[in-house]
Amino acid sequence: MTTSWLTKNRTNVVVGAVVLVAAYIFYYAQNDIAPSMYASAWGYAIPLVLAALVGVIGERSGVVNIGIEGQMLVAAFAGFFAAAYSGSLLVGVLAGIGSGLILGGFLAWTSVKWRMDQIIAGVVLNIVATGITSFYYTPGQVLPGLMPSFDVPVLSSIPLIGDVFFTGTSIFATLAILAAIGVHIALFHSRWGLRTRAVGEYPSAADTAGINVEWLRIVNVTLAGSLAGCAGVYLSMDASSSFERGMVAGRGFLALAIMIMGAWRPLRAFVMAIFFGFINAVASQLQQSGNIDLPPQLTGTLPFVVTIIVLAVAAGRVRAPAAVGQPYVKGDQ
Amino acid sequence: MKSTRYLVAAPAALALALAGCGGSTGTTDTPAASGASSAAGAPADDSNCADAEVFCIGLVTDTGKVDDKSFNQSAHEGAQAAAEETQGFYKYVETQDAKDYASNIAQFTNKKYDVLITVGFLMTDATAQAAAENPQTRFIGVDQGYDAKKVTVKNVTGLIFPEDQAGYGAGYLAGLMTKTNKLGQVLGLQIPPVEKFAKGFEAGAKAANPAVSVTTVYHPAADNAFNDPVWGAGEAKKQLAQGADVIFGAGGNTGNGALQEVAKTAGAGTDKFCIGVDTDQWDTVPAAQPCLVTSAMKLINEGVTDTVVQAKDGDFTELQTLGKAGLAPYHDFESVVPADVKAKVDEVVKQMEAGTLKTGVTL
Repeated sequence: MTTSWLTKNRTNVVVGAVVLVAAYIFYYAQNDIAPSMYASAWGYAIPLVLAALVGVIGERSGVVNIGIEGQMLVAAFAGFFAAAYSGSLLVGVLAGIGSGLILGGFLAWTSVKWRMDQIIAGVVLNIVATGITSFYYTPGQVLPGLMPSFDVPVLSSIPLIGDVFFTGTSIFATLAILAAIGVHIALFHSRWGLRTRAVGEYPSAADTAGINVEWLRIVNVTLAGSLAGCAGVYLSMDASSSFERGMVAGRGFLALAIMIMGAWRPLRAFVMAIFFGFINAVASQLQQSGNIDLPPQLTGTLPFVVTIIVLAVAAGRVRAPAAVGQPYVKGDQ
Repeated sequence: MKSTRYLVAAPAALALALAGCGGSTGTTDTPAASGASSAAGAPADDSNCADAEVFCIGLVTDTGKVDDKSFNQSAHEGAQAAAEETQGFYKYVETQDAKDYASNIAQFTNKKYDVLITVGFLMTDATAQAAAENPQTRFIGVDQGYDAKKVTVKNVTGLIFPEDQAGYGAGYLAGLMTKTNKLGQVLGLQIPPVEKFAKGFEAGAKAANPAVSVTTVYHPAADNAFNDPVWGAGEAKKQLAQGADVIFGAGGNTGNGALQEVAKTAGAGTDKFCIGVDTDQWDTVPAAQPCLVTSAMKLINEGVTDTVVQAKDGDFTELQTLGKAGLAPYHDFESVVPADVKAKVDEVVKQMEAGTLKTGVTL
């Protein structure tokens, strides 16, 4: 069993080991800047991981979710203002997650039940989110407190990994790790996962096997909305402590690119998000160290150039779920 | 297998393209907001602006709102004050997208407004062009430096501020306050007004304390460079982790994100400080109060009011009008900043105002 797993995943294991060793070498060689760069990379990756998981769950069930950006924006808005007006962070977090669920439900209902074009449903969601949050935004609100941060016992004492992931971490950071692992296990090692993948690949076969295709899609897309909610709440209540109009700033779309780079697999998307975060940290480090005199616009393009390269390399090897984007009409196939 | 390749590449390209323009989705989709106000005794609408008796003032914001807590808000308040002083009619339009500059300006010139204020460096070209085409309207371009060879009309003036002086004063203070000898700057887009703040800050810090090192980072994207608090917070966090103990956040909401991050850090207000920009951010960003020593201000408010009042009397004599810049009060940090530091900073600010001290900043 172990040997067969190793042969099957040989490339992954080798690449992973090389990256890990390189990371540790950099960590010890450049101890003044490396830890902060890793922390910055992870901080950047947290919302991307959560949002990419929303995309993974949706597309694995056959529903394209272009509206993640809007879900995050509304959740960031709802979370921040609910917390500011109620004086309770918990209320804010719940409001944010709840709004993510509601928008997930909206997308699921319109695109699955009413068979609206999924891309259009997502775009509608983004436009509505931008409009609503801009209109009801009121300046001058302040969060009632700070999100609690904590050290995870035992794990936080591991060099590098402990520093970055488990020291002074927040609920959402921990949640992003647990969610990536959880979704991976659920997707590939549970009955729900098998059914979800079947619905995303070949819905008519799944239907024949007695799976309620529409219902499963609706449930999955709706529940995934809670993760988008967490990502949004993280942005306005943890990563920064304010809501601003349009503050998601394209992270929802970036998450979709990361989902593709991660080949629709939760753990690979997790790794890709961190990789992307790291490239971003390198870009700003290059700029601020002043060793290389490049205009910031040029270093700023680094993450996107890398994305294009990775996608170009990956494009031939990864494959989207076969039924993604197609509404399922019983008896039509 | 050929087709599956496209299946992946097409959404991938789409996702990338959308990620790239993500910032603009936040602004393009809603119709332009506008608002009007008029002082008592002033005309109630803009139907008679062509009339010599009726004084109409218009304002076009940059891609920001009149409640952005810094730049646009200051100009807006300045215009309101001017409307009251001149018994004029005042109306503003918020720009949603850079491609709308010209059409937003046209909304006012079509109605023959007397004065039009365009806010922001990015509107320089649109303003110069509109001024040439509409001699009946006088234009005030906040933060806009014109090329004297290209702009020959007299109905336009660029209101610019010595940002480098405000930055210099703030940097001087930061250089004296730092214990780690490391300072950080989290900035918006790399455009002249921001660069002048940043270079002034660095020059001031080095003048006060030659041992100091300043790390500077500009937001790379163009669309949301002034509206990405999460990015600003992340960069501030990184700079703090690398030892910086005073952070200058200059770039709208992006900079505000940096200020708030410093405010959240352990030691904020005792050995970690932040410095705001444009307006007195003690009032505008209350969440930054735990660390906010001062703000490098430009007195946009006052500058706009004065220039509008001046415009009532006729065309401008100068192509550029120089406003004022300075440091905001220390507020609660009055007792935290040592007396000798305050004295030195005051001295430097006075010398700059008198013109005896040059910041040496060139772009």
